[in-house]
Amino acid sequence: MTDLGSSVGSPAGALPDPGESPVSSRGVAARRRLARQVALRNYTLLFVVAAVWVVFQALTGIFLSPRNLTLLALQSSITAMAAISAVMLIVTRNFDISVGSAVALVGVVAAVATSPTKLALDPLVGFALAMIVGIVLGAWNGLWVTRIGVPSFIVTLAGLLYFRGISMIITNGATVSPVPPAMRSFGNDSLGPGLSVAVVLLVFLAFAAFRISTIRRARDLGLLRDVRPVITRSLVPVGVAAAAAVWVAAGQGLPYLVLLLGGAAIAAEILMRRTPYGATLYAIGGNPEAARLAGIDVKKALFRNFLIAGVAYGLIGIALTSRINGAVPGSAGVGLELDAIAAAIIGGTSLAGGRGTIIGALLGAALMGSLNNGMSLMNVPTFYQDTARGVVLLVAVALDVSSRRRR
Amino acid sequence: MTLDRSDGERAPVSGIAGATAAPVLRTRGLTKRFPGVVAVDAVDLDIEAGRILALLGPNGAGKSTLIQVLAGAHPAGTYDGEIELLGLPYGPSNVAGAVAAGVVLIPQEVNTAPDLTVAQNLSLNDLPTRYGLIDSNEVEAGARRLLAEFEVGVDANARMGSLDLATQQLVTIVRALSKDARVLILDEPTAALTEGEARRLFEHLRRLRARGVAIVFVSHRLTEVFAIADRIVVMRDGRIRGDHQIAETSRKAVVAEMVGTMTEPAPRATAGAPGSVALEVHALSAHDVDDPDRRRVDDVSLTVRRGEIVGLFGLVGAGCGPTATAIFGAWPGHVSGSIRIDGREVHIGTPSDAVAAGIGLMSQDRRQTLVLDQSIADNIALPSLATLTRSGFLDVERREAIGLEYIARLAIRAPSAKSDVGTLSGGNQQKVQVARWLVARSTVLLLDDPTRGVDVGARGEIHRLIRALAGDGKAILLVSSEAQELVEVCDRILIMRSGRLVVDLPAADASESKLLEAAAGQ
Repeated sequence: MTDLGSSVGSPAGALPDPGESPVSSRGVAARRRLARQVALRNYTLLFVVAAVWVVFQALTGIFLSPRNLTLLALQSSITAMAAISAVMLIVTRNFDISVGSAVALVGVVAAVATSPTKLALDPLVGFALAMIVGIVLGAWNGLWVTRIGVPSFIVTLAGLLYFRGISMIITNGATVSPVPPAMRSFGNDSLGPGLSVAVVLLVFLAFAAFRISTIRRARDLGLLRDVRPVITRSLVPVGVAAAAAVWVAAGQGLPYLVLLLGGAAIAAEILMRRTPYGATLYAIGGNPEAARLAGIDVKKALFRNFLIAGVAYGLIGIALTSRINGAVPGSAGVGLELDAIAAAIIGGTSLAGGRGTIIGALLGAALMGSLNNGMSLMNVPTFYQDTARGVVLLVAVALDVSSRRRR
Repeated sequence: MTLDRSDGERAPVSGIAGATAAPVLRTRGLTKRFPGVVAVDAVDLDIEAGRILALLGPNGAGKSTLIQVLAGAHPAGTYDGEIELLGLPYGPSNVAGAVAAGVVLIPQEVNTAPDLTVAQNLSLNDLPTRYGLIDSNEVEAGARRLLAEFEVGVDANARMGSLDLATQQLVTIVRALSKDARVLILDEPTAALTEGEARRLFEHLRRLRARGVAIVFVSHRLTEVFAIADRIVVMRDGRIRGDHQIAETSRKAVVAEMVGTMTEPAPRATAGAPGSVALEVHALSAHDVDDPDRRRVDDVSLTVRRGEIVGLFGLVGAGCGPTATAIFGAWPGHVSGSIRIDGREVHIGTPSDAVAAGIGLMSQDRRQTLVLDQSIADNIALPSLATLTRSGFLDVERREAIGLEYIARLAIRAPSAKSDVGTLSGGNQQKVQVARWLVARSTVLLLDDPTRGVDVGARGEIHRLIRALAGDGKAILLVSSEAQELVEVCDRILIMRSGRLVVDLPAADASESKLLEAAAGQ
């Protein structure tokens, strides 16, 4: 049942021959135009982020220093991880507004388990417990959505309330601090510059090897004629990004949380683009009934979707607790769900489902993080920062909607 | 009737006194472009009062775009050329503007609020009010008057969603007619109707014609076109290719204009030796989801052999569609009975069980089974994702290659395997569905009205494809609302009435009239 190639060959004889080549010249022109538009759309957000960076550099003089960019990446990492999870859910037309409270609860578990003032367990045991709790919370949300049929917005609205409530109950509202030095280090320190550069280069090389092999395969299957321009188009932008990352990493190394984000992003990208499961999620979001009638077990796929959100709760909860050196059940992760959804939407994720990319969510998180970071450098009060982010969200979605209408 | 047919312009068949050649609606050089496509190309068309104009043409001919422009769906300024309504310039900026001017389009898809009553649906756009509040008595009374006037036997207080598709469509038409339409445009109004309902609709249309309403209707069914139209306009590639008084043309000539060349009717299925029994359904019953005591499918047993095309025919509500849906595990209500595939008993509780057992379903509603804003390749691969892997990862390149392969093999007209399915014509969308189940290697194919709403050319292609599938040893259960289609294509025809299987007819004994009689219970 695995070799589809030979199996589909058999009915060829009896089926009608194609009358004419399906690719008309008009079709090719339209296709090129569409490809250009799509490419432009994909890069729009990148240009916006670049423009914002240039403006802040001009205004502050230090925005584009390796030191500040490292800080920006660290500050954005938690929102970005939540945004990745948000994209995967919104693609299937589900919302998770419980993520902020869920990570607070996970953080409380991690802190209570490991803090010298509490159970003082080994940090690795704390990590494991936090991951288990995160996955259980995700499964809990998923059960209500898929078994009982309560809309995810309501299930996670309830979670927003009681996950935080439970965190407060466990600690009686008190902050649990500090966490062991190893955890604190994980949340705040960096891998050395040499190793960081090596990691960036390795990831780039692995990506390049993968892309070249898939592009060659596309040629072997007759999808492409000339591989060279495609390889160039595919590798040059990533190469530029890698060079920039090397430049930043060579300064002070890359924070562990940024490396965690990178790993999560790569895993999510592979899951969404290169696994049957990812294709299933896009199909469910595009048309749930069609997915069901194509034989997809929609409920199972959605339940797994919430399990993955649970993995994100675990990782983000640990990251947040490590970074702030303790669990603050009243305020940790407050508003994270909205930042995550905003980043996903700015990154082009469609609220109607079926569309959304991991890279878009990362850029969305980068844009919002840049606005915060840049305005902080300029000593703009936080009220103005919130206002600016709100306006950016509205404008981004408005642009997206109008560009889709024109299509 | 002693009318001189050649003088039909002055004295139309309907015999409207005083109907002149002066058109209600006229277009000059009407051109509508979409990126990469000229959908309507310099069309000059006069639409006359008190006459029924049938607009024909293959899918993609520009019919839909033309009527959408007339009905205000594309605002003035987005097209070139001129339109006049009653001699005055006409350029509505939206559908509401067109309706206010008396030009009403009834879309192909029933567009109603399923949770409101028939009466509320009828008065949705101009609710009668008393002291600023909705006058619900008047809503109901007005609805009763309208339903009585147009002789539609529906309870004004029935919930719209509880009616079948055909009745919902009649209500939609009544709603449009209530607005004093001067020009009534119907886009394939009979696609979902049974022959009896279509006849009733035509009676309504004739009555409106007698009142002087200009009627334009788009159809793919030539029989009904010749039964009701006064004039036939054929479009192809955005242009008008033929414009005839009904008496001056023939079916053959019209088909030739539509297709571009004359086509032979598809040859009858050759009775090859059918293989082993692939699908065996025993005592299948499907209960209504809202009313569990009512059996929509009642104790149906049937078999389909490999290489055999079995037709399933019945009037609307007879249970043909639900039978296919229930076999596929997609029926929302309770289902009982047993199903064997290749002699092996299978439990089918969900569509994924059915797909795993080797059954594929092609639904009549392509929007239900295709992910319209995903690519052809994505749609074809959807049931086969689990097998489409390389070391556990989705083989994205092979998926696209399979898309290209089937575009070529089934002659799907599309620029590339990455084109969105939603941009294809109805016939090509159906081919995507066929490709999907070929790739999934299904042995049993359930086809629910696969040619509904597709044009004559694509219809023939789909028929040939169905036969090729049977020739490859697939077992095919073909549900259709068109008796003629089944007589042409099937080896054997089963007829259903009120949820029960009543007749099993070999193709050699079948005829359109026999099918209709048996289905109606005469």
